[in-house]
Amino acid sequence: MFQQILALAVIVFFISRLLQQKKQKQISKNELSLWLTFWGLTAIAIIFIHQIDQLVARLGFSGTAINILVYLAIVALIYQVFRLRLIIARLEKDLSQINQHLALKNK
Amino acid sequence: MKIVCVIPAYNEEINISTAVKSVQPFVNEVVVVDDGSRDHSADLAQTAGATVLRHIINRGQGAALRTGTQYALNSGADIIIHFDADNQFEASEIPDLLQPLLQHEAEVVLGSRFLEKKSRLPWNKEYLIMPLARLINRLFFGIKLSDPQSGFRALSRSSAEKINIENDGMAHCSEILYQLFRNRQKIKEVPITVIYHRYGQNFSGGLKIIGDLIIQKIIK
Repeated sequence: MFQQILALAVIVFFISRLLQQKKQKQISKNELSLWLTFWGLTAIAIIFIHQIDQLVARLGFSGTAINILVYLAIVALIYQVFRLRLIIARLEKDLSQINQHLALKNK
Repeated sequence: MKIVCVIPAYNEEINISTAVKSVQPFVNEVVVVDDGSRDHSADLAQTAGATVLRHIINRGQGAALRTGTQYALNSGADIIIHFDADNQFEASEIPDLLQPLLQHEAEVVLGSRFLEKKSRLPWNKEYLIMPLARLINRLFFGIKLSDPQSGFRALSRSSAEKINIENDGMAHCSEILYQLFRNRQKIKEVPITVIYHRYGQNFSGGLKIIGDLIIQKIIK
């Protein structure tokens, strides 16, 4: 129960920051909607954590299936970071080619 | 026989004039690739008599060497020398690197800090980082050389044409060695002296090199 309250408090903190950023026009309306949806769904998942756990168990996973979902989420995040790293590396390569082209052309 | 020396430089205004003047007696043309320096490196190199190519943004030593080597090939170089801007190499040793090429004993000559001449390397570099780099080169790339990371090298035109430096950063050293071995180039190592003004690559730098080589392999 305490952990749930703590997690909800963190979400409230992030939502208040989002509203502040919107007020200062640092993020767009669409961005606000996206992040509000994300944090809203996360808050719902935290409030109904036991029901979700039971649902996952009924689907045939072990009692700690929610842990498995967390691990999968971490793997997905690592994959996304790695994908971004590759995209950046490709962009850097293109940048270097333009750089070289200009250096040789302007000689 | 046209010999071109390529010197990549990034914020080297203190050393660049000396570096250019020191190599001039041994080569036909000195090419300084100013890699987006924010100081007066480019102007000083030009005043010292070098041909200056300018990168508008900093992309790393590998990228600068690629630009300089391409320029040298375009300008008809028969031999291309890679040299550092920070005066850590001895220009008077350039003839030692040229000799095996001129006598057709080798297609590529690499300077080595671990042969007869002894450079005063920091102890952890000599006994930890370099042996580890040597082991990685040997295990993963099949490279058997005494110096796994030397930046002082002389390439024949045909060898330089076969090399394509993909890594912009410091991983280009390993990459060049790998490509030389893959292309079965006739390689000779000659002893050189290195004077350390800066520490250079540390352990985390070594890890970054490995990471860069892996990323480059994936996106290729």
